[in-house]
Amino acid sequence: MRRRFAALLFVAVLLVPAACGDGGDGTGDGDRPDDGGPDVVTVGLIPIVDVAPIFLGEEQGFFEKRNIELETTFATGGANIVPGVASGEFDFGFSNIISMLLAHSNGVPIRIVSNGNNSTTVEGQDFGALIVRADSPYQTAADLEGAAVASNTLQNIVETVVRESVRQAGGDPDLVNFTELPFPDMQPALEAGDVDAIFVVEPFTSAAIAAGHRVLASSYAQAAPDLTVAVYFTSLNLIERDPDLVRRCTEAMQESLAYADSHPEETKRILLEYTQIPEEALADLILPRFPPEINRESVEIMARLALEDGLLSQMPDLDALLPDTASS
Amino acid sequence: MTRSGSKTVWLGVAGLAGFAAILELLPRLGVVREQYTPPTSRILAELVDQIGQQRLWTAIGNTLTTWVIGLGIAVAGGVVVGVLIGSVPVLRAATASTIEFLRPIPSVAWIPVAFALYGSDRPGTLLLVVYASFWQVLIQVLHGVVDVDPVARDTALAYRMGRWDRIRWLVWPTALPYVVTGIRLAAAVALILTVTGELLMGTPGLGNEIAVATTSRAVPLTYALVVVTGLVGVAANLLARALERRVLAWHPSQRAEVPA
Repeated sequence: MRRRFAALLFVAVLLVPAACGDGGDGTGDGDRPDDGGPDVVTVGLIPIVDVAPIFLGEEQGFFEKRNIELETTFATGGANIVPGVASGEFDFGFSNIISMLLAHSNGVPIRIVSNGNNSTTVEGQDFGALIVRADSPYQTAADLEGAAVASNTLQNIVETVVRESVRQAGGDPDLVNFTELPFPDMQPALEAGDVDAIFVVEPFTSAAIAAGHRVLASSYAQAAPDLTVAVYFTSLNLIERDPDLVRRCTEAMQESLAYADSHPEETKRILLEYTQIPEEALADLILPRFPPEINRESVEIMARLALEDGLLSQMPDLDALLPDTASS
Repeated sequence: MTRSGSKTVWLGVAGLAGFAAILELLPRLGVVREQYTPPTSRILAELVDQIGQQRLWTAIGNTLTTWVIGLGIAVAGGVVVGVLIGSVPVLRAATASTIEFLRPIPSVAWIPVAFALYGSDRPGTLLLVVYASFWQVLIQVLHGVVDVDPVARDTALAYRMGRWDRIRWLVWPTALPYVVTGIRLAAAVALILTVTGELLMGTPGLGNEIAVATTSRAVPLTYALVVVTGLVGVAANLLARALERRVLAWHPSQRAEVPA
C-alpha cells in the first residue's frame, strides 16, 4: 500500500516540471518554428457571433495558405483581451472600438490591424438593439430619462451608443441610469421589471424580439452610418518584431471578412461549430456586416462621442491607432 | 452493515429523485420561467444528447487534466514543505505568521495576476488550483508531523535512529492520515478552482463550455454542463475516498467495523 502511495507521489512530482514547461512555451509570441512548419498565431476572441469570419476563414484555408496556424482562445468577457495582447499572451485580439480608443489613450502599446464587424445600419434590423417591454410607456429613446437601462459594461461602447440614441431623440443622456448586467441576464431582468430597457446583441436580440419585446432604437445604426463596432488588433511589439507575420495575418483576416460578408448562410452555419447557439435560433438571427475595411469616419464619430461623454479627455491620434492603409 | 447501508443508499436515491422532481415541477407549474429554468427532463435530454458529442468529452478531459496536475503539484509541494517545516521547530515558528497571512487569501483574488501571466492557458488556472489546494495539504501535514507519539519519538532517539529513518518510520506513518485528509480536502477545492479558472479566464474545459453555452443563449445546455460538473465532483470525491481507504487500510479510523 505504501509503495503504491509513494508511486502516486512520484507521479505528482514528475508532473511538476511538465506543468511548468507548459508555461514556458510562451505560445503567445508568434513563434516561428525552425522546422519550417506554419507560424502559430494566438488570437483572443469572445465566443459571440461577431467573430464568425475568423472561424469561417480558418475553415476556408485563408490562414493556412499564408502559412499561419490559428490558435483561438475564448477569453470570457472582452476586458481581458486588451491586456492579453499588450502582454504578448495573445498575438491578436478582438475588441470593440471604444475599448480600443480607451486603451490607446491610456498608452497601451497596441494598434488596430483589421476591421471586425459593422452595424447593418438598418433600423430595427441590427444585431444590437435597445429593447423595452412591449407594454412599456417608452416610445422614443428620449423617454428613457430617469429609466434604468442595462449595459453589459459600464462606460463602454453600449453606453456610448445608447446615450447617443437618447441625445438624437432630444433627451438628456445624463439622466439615464445605466446598470451593469451580463447580456444573458438582461432579458430576464427586463421581464422581472428590474430594468426598464436593455441593450443586447445577438443571439439575445432576436430572442428578445421573438419573445414579443419591442426595439426602441437600433443604437449602433443611429450612432454612425455603417459603424465599425469592433476590430482586430495586435501589439506594437509584434508589429516591430515580425511585420511580415502581421501583414499576412491581416490579409487573411480581411479575406475572411469579405468571404463572411458575402456568404451569410455559411457564416450562420459556422456559428454551430464554435458557439452553442441552438440551430433553431439561426433563422431569425441578425448577422452584423463584415466589411474588410475599417470605416474611419465612424471611428472619428465614436471618438467624438467618447470625448463628449467624458470617457476620453482628448481627441485620440487615430493615425497611430488605425492601420496604415497607405502602405498595405 | 448491509442492512443499514442499503437503507442509507435508498434514502439517498429517494432524496435525489425528490430534488429532481421539484426541479421538474417548478417550471411546469409556472413558479419559475421554463425559458430560463428548464425542467429536469429537458436538462437530462440535453445531457443525453451531449454524451454523444466529442466536444463534451474534450472538455471533461481538459478539466480533469488541469485538476490532476494542479492537485499533484499541491500535494507534492504540501507534503515536502510540510514535512520540512514541521520537523524543524525554528522554521515552523518563522513561517507560521506568513502561512497564516497567505492562506486566507482567496485563490480567485489571483485571477488578474494569473491572467496577466498566462492568459487563458492552463498554467493560469493551475496557479489558482495549486494556490488553493496547497494550503489544505500543508496545514494537515504540519498538524500530522507534530502528532508523533512522544514515547515512540523517545524510543527512536534512544535507538539512535537517524533523521531520515525517523521521518520514514515515525513521522510519515503518523502524518499519513492527516496527509490523506489533506488530499481529500484539496481534491474538492482543486476541482472548484479548476472550473472557476475555466469559467472566468477561458481556460479550455467544462467551465469554459458553460461560459460559451451561456453567451450562446443555450439554456438547457448550460444546466446540463452544470450537472456534468457536479458528476465530475462526485467522481473526484469517490476517488479520494477510495484512495483514503486503501492507503490507510491499516489505520484504526478505517477499521471501525471491527469492534476494538
